[in-house]
Amino acid sequence: MSNPQEINGGAAVAMVGKDCVAIACDLRMGSSALGVSNDFEKIFNYGNVYLGLTGLATDVLTLSDVFKFKTNLYKMREERAIEPQTFANLVSSTLYEKRFGPYFVGPIVAGINSVDNKPFICGFDLIGCIDFAKDFIVSGTASDQLYGMCESLWEPGLEADDLFETISQALLNGLDRDALSGWGAVVYIITKEKVVKRLLKTRQD
Amino acid sequence: MSLQEALPDSALHSTASSVPIEHRFNPYSDNGGTILGIAGKDFAVLAGDTRNTTGYSINSRYEPKVFHVGDNVVVSANGFAADGNVLVKRLGQQIQWYHYNHNKELKLSSCARLVQHMLYGKRFFPYYVHTILAGLDEDGKGAIYSFDPVGSYEREQCRAGGAAASLIMPFLDNQVNFKNQMDPATNGTEPHPITYLSLEEVLQLVKDAFSSATERHIQVGDGLEILIVTKDGVRTEYSPLKRD
Amino acid sequence: MDTISSRFTSASAMALGNDNCNEFNPDGFLDAPSLSLPPISQPAAFLRAHTDDASNRDCTIKVNHGTTTLAFRFQGGIVVAVDSRATAGNWIASQTVKKVIEINPFLLGTMAGGAADCQYWETWLGTQCRLHELRSKERISVAAASKMLSNLVYSYKGMGLSMGTMVCGYTEREGPTIYYVDSDGTRLKGDMFCVGSGQTFAYGVLDASYKWDLSVDEALALGKRSILAATHRDAYSGGSINLYHVTQDGWVYHGNYDVGTTFWETKAKEESFNNVKVEL
Repeated sequence: MSNPQEINGGAAVAMVGKDCVAIACDLRMGSSALGVSNDFEKIFNYGNVYLGLTGLATDVLTLSDVFKFKTNLYKMREERAIEPQTFANLVSSTLYEKRFGPYFVGPIVAGINSVDNKPFICGFDLIGCIDFAKDFIVSGTASDQLYGMCESLWEPGLEADDLFETISQALLNGLDRDALSGWGAVVYIITKEKVVKRLLKTRQD
Repeated sequence: MSLQEALPDSALHSTASSVPIEHRFNPYSDNGGTILGIAGKDFAVLAGDTRNTTGYSINSRYEPKVFHVGDNVVVSANGFAADGNVLVKRLGQQIQWYHYNHNKELKLSSCARLVQHMLYGKRFFPYYVHTILAGLDEDGKGAIYSFDPVGSYEREQCRAGGAAASLIMPFLDNQVNFKNQMDPATNGTEPHPITYLSLEEVLQLVKDAFSSATERHIQVGDGLEILIVTKDGVRTEYSPLKRD
Repeated sequence: MDTISSRFTSASAMALGNDNCNEFNPDGFLDAPSLSLPPISQPAAFLRAHTDDASNRDCTIKVNHGTTTLAFRFQGGIVVAVDSRATAGNWIASQTVKKVIEINPFLLGTMAGGAADCQYWETWLGTQCRLHELRSKERISVAAASKMLSNLVYSYKGMGLSMGTMVCGYTEREGPTIYYVDSDGTRLKGDMFCVGSGQTFAYGVLDASYKWDLSVDEALALGKRSILAATHRDAYSGGSINLYHVTQDGWVYHGNYDVGTTFWETKAKEESFNNVKVEL
């Protein structure tokens, strides 16, 4: 209860594949030991950018709306949707504005740049330091477990179907070793042609 | 007479902002490292990295922490190295004494109960270690026993302990116990059946688990020492890990 | 047999607590193994500073906590049901813990709180019950067995033991009997107890359907269903369900049920858990 990032629980992960990216999260929102919601998605979509937000639930909801607002303004002024790289910098600066009273979140970003069609993922700490990773990004109360899973399952050049299997197994087995994450999971497989969203059937304990 | 002269000597040295220094008995430190045990059909392996740390310093790149204590039993007590070494040494002695007193081998299950009593004997001043015991049971099947610092224990198929346990354990659930995997033969309608892995498969899993843990955990690395228990005895394999 | 029992009746030589440290051996428990203490004036405060506790989360030694266990009496004996998860903080240390300790063929003990405390002292209780049998040539009563345990933990009061246990058994004199014993020294006889972090969730289901006249199958199903509900809502309960039935012939094990599959089977069969969605 002392660490705001661990009150509600939750986990998210993003991975790069061959001409595709994947992002996934669990569905639990709890109040310490008590499970409160099993329909709390932590992935938000802004055009061709996907944002995963773990951490304190109130800040997750607040920030997701802040970014909705900011990306809408961006679209009106630029007359085009925001690119993943640009969005990452928007997240970073938004978080750093609250350097001394931060949002207690662990954001991750995934998307395919519509100019060069290259996959992009990155992660942040709660005050906006960007972690540009070429392979995968993890976040939330199961991050240690996800690091272990991703480091051993992920390999370069995964096709969309294999990427789905890899990210799903990484998330599922990571969640099952964390008391505060789980209760269902969703996976987005993003290619430049289409986005597929799937619900994973997970343990419910 | 000034105020200062009236005060006792000790009071002159303390300023208004100073606080009393609190001394506390802290006999523990954390020497990092990770261990991993997997049981097979007729073998068991217990592996550990060979790095020893305190804080950000590396004390040694080769300090073995998995030991053969006699009677085909291998053990490792990971955490605070001083406590771990004492526990392993005392266990070895207890097994020797058992030989002198009874002139027979100590069963692995009895060895596990002995370790419980050694750990719980210090319930109010615990050994700061996560202990794993590996060997063969009475039927010759591979067995792993794992213990918490004060001696609660359980026989398992596999167990990771120490600093990177949280990174390795979910991987083991997935690859050894086939958690969250379905059986391809049933078109994914039935869970993957539990089968024993071969020694070659197990050794490869152990190496993958440790190279992954080395990548993401600062207290893990340098070298990997695997002790393999079969009915023919205990064999050691060493392979290097990243040293950064 | 009498010589064997007399050998264990005098002060035990089982001093595994080693070193030249102080040792703790509570008054009146000369047959309890002595445990070594840190060489300082306030051992309890030392332990509290270094082991997991509600008031001290960032400590060095994590002790396994979190559980749901239940036991209830009914027309056909006693049903005991428990989960199998062990947690250290948010980390799930194990999903396969045996939280029912088979003290002897007629006595069961359940495990909540410190895993080592329960395991160690309930197996100790098993040896004491056996010695009682050898000395008095009859099985120990549940009342006496539970009181041995409660007196033992009471002698350690304030030292940081953590256990919440139900001692369940059957004797000719008492019939099916449940005693709740915890590390504060509480000892209560009762018809129904749920113990652990998930106890409230289990009580909710149990109270709704409990009757004295339950058949054995119904009672086992209710015990299982109550634990299932608790594993669902309580983050620190889960893994699988272990079921036991206690009768005049001793206890009978009724299997291990993985929550991962049992949950979906129950949901489909009962059309319950409608808060859980199965498609987007």
